[in-house]
Amino acid sequence: MFLSVSSTLGHGSAAVLSKFRSLDLFTKICLTWLAIVVLAAILGPVLPLDNPREADIEAMGTGLFSSGHIFGTDTNGYDVLSNIVNGSRLSLLIAVVSVGIGGVVGAAIGIISAFVRGKFDYVVNLFFNIMLSIPNLVLGLALVAVLATSADPTQPVSSNRRVFVVIISLTIVIIPILGRIARGATLTWINREFITAARSMGMKNRDIVLKHVVPNVLPSIYAIGFLAIGVVIVAEGALSLLGVGITDGVSWGAAISRVSGDFTYAPHSNR
Amino acid sequence: MKARSTNAIEVLKRLVQLLLVVIGATFLLSLLLRLLPVGLKELYVTGLFEEDRQRQIKELGLDRNAFSYYFHWLWDFVRGDFGRIVLPGGGGESVSSHVGRALPKTLQLVFYTQIFALAVAIPLGIFSAYRAGRRTDRFVSYGLFTAASVPNFVLGLLLALIVGVKLEWLPPLGYVPISESFVDHVRGMVLPVLALGIPLIASYTRLLRTDVIATLREDFVTMAVAKGLSDRRILFTHVLRPSSVTLLTSAALNMGALIGGSLVIERVFSIPGLGTEIGLAIFGRQYFALQAYVALVAIGYVVFNSVIDVLVGFVDPRTRERRSA
Repeated sequence: MFLSVSSTLGHGSAAVLSKFRSLDLFTKICLTWLAIVVLAAILGPVLPLDNPREADIEAMGTGLFSSGHIFGTDTNGYDVLSNIVNGSRLSLLIAVVSVGIGGVVGAAIGIISAFVRGKFDYVVNLFFNIMLSIPNLVLGLALVAVLATSADPTQPVSSNRRVFVVIISLTIVIIPILGRIARGATLTWINREFITAARSMGMKNRDIVLKHVVPNVLPSIYAIGFLAIGVVIVAEGALSLLGVGITDGVSWGAAISRVSGDFTYAPHSNR
Repeated sequence: MKARSTNAIEVLKRLVQLLLVVIGATFLLSLLLRLLPVGLKELYVTGLFEEDRQRQIKELGLDRNAFSYYFHWLWDFVRGDFGRIVLPGGGGESVSSHVGRALPKTLQLVFYTQIFALAVAIPLGIFSAYRAGRRTDRFVSYGLFTAASVPNFVLGLLLALIVGVKLEWLPPLGYVPISESFVDHVRGMVLPVLALGIPLIASYTRLLRTDVIATLREDFVTMAVAKGLSDRRILFTHVLRPSSVTLLTSAALNMGALIGGSLVIERVFSIPGLGTEIGLAIFGRQYFALQAYVALVAIGYVVFNSVIDVLVGFVDPRTRERRSA
């Protein structure tokens, strides 16, 4: 679905439009929403919105459709709409970067290990199993919690460092997931006739992997990778809800984390 | 005879793999503690006098290297000694007593969720496979897909807000043990189980639907129809069992996601389970306790997956034959 859309992008906007029309309604809604989120991430700074980091002290914790704040403000007086729009940038960045790096590294390890086989493959597979034996969110939580500890307990870790740690941790979580997919897919392709043929004709291993294995393995990695982006966005929010993710700064997780306390003592407060 | 001995080797191989995974995972976790940007000594060794400091370092095992530390830790862990909550003055509570209190609550939550999700997904999956391609099938598929794309903590917060606070049908948060009041226990668990279970229902229903559609094409189904059995009977007694292998495997694999999800849901509904303990350990900088909790979760997850793998062989004997062949 995603692949067919992105492959038409080269043929100009008319082709994209006609392709878009041929999709079913459900897919259309999804794509439109995705486009809005990406646009919000890109255009956030130039849109006529309040500064997401500036509290409106006159209006703290106002509900929906209050004057000046369409989505209201949180208990600190931050404009909710502006935080949603501007927060998409960091949330998308974290998701795309960690899935991107994790996907490339994981796929490389998975494909090579399935191609080489033998002891190396056993060790890599064992390593993937070890990483996967710890539930994703728990592993991410442990990594972020440990890596984002500040030396001085009274001094919170800087926001940039937290973003960095969250990206690293989520990348480490993604590597075995996509690595295992790549390894499995490679194992099914490696025994096909065309690979044997390429080998018998004297093709180098490196060329076999790059020309024959990688193009066939990529679709399954894309399929899981796109899913993973969504999962990582949610994971970023969940980490923040648990209080270890990005707690200040402008991201969806940070927005949740700032007001997560409100639900404990004032869930009725009109939001 | 020969088949049996190869089976035994197969089982042994799996056990070795299982053991290696558990040891690897716990070793990585203990290495993780050494990755702390702050030295463990700076964090936990608080004695004023040199002798006190040396004694504390020895007690915490910080004088050992990574391997020696790990094997001491493992030996203690196997015997059920998970270490102590480290307090500046010394003499904190043992971690195992925390685990004893928290673990049953998390397990309850996870098991209720699995039972609920399977109880809803099995009839729904069979029904939508029976009506594959019709409007009801599409309606169920899209509805579930939408429900599954809502993160479970958002679902949890919405449920707490609407059902708990606005309608006041159920308590929005809190946990009541069974021994205290069974009715209140169930009432408190309904919302967390819904929040965790609805996304699961979506994936289970999809898996079962695909498998049931495949099974419905098999000859024995045609045979059963020819014998004049009712559709309902065919679906539930002849089709369900051979179609449930993928479902069971996925249910086992989902235990990990479920344990991860329960961390967040426990926090949303303030259930004092393992997730809450992990959160407290992180905030209290109790990294030894954190190590024990995460190790427990990993071990439980691995063992559970292996058990299900064996169970699958009983549910569909054909996989057993295929494997030994």
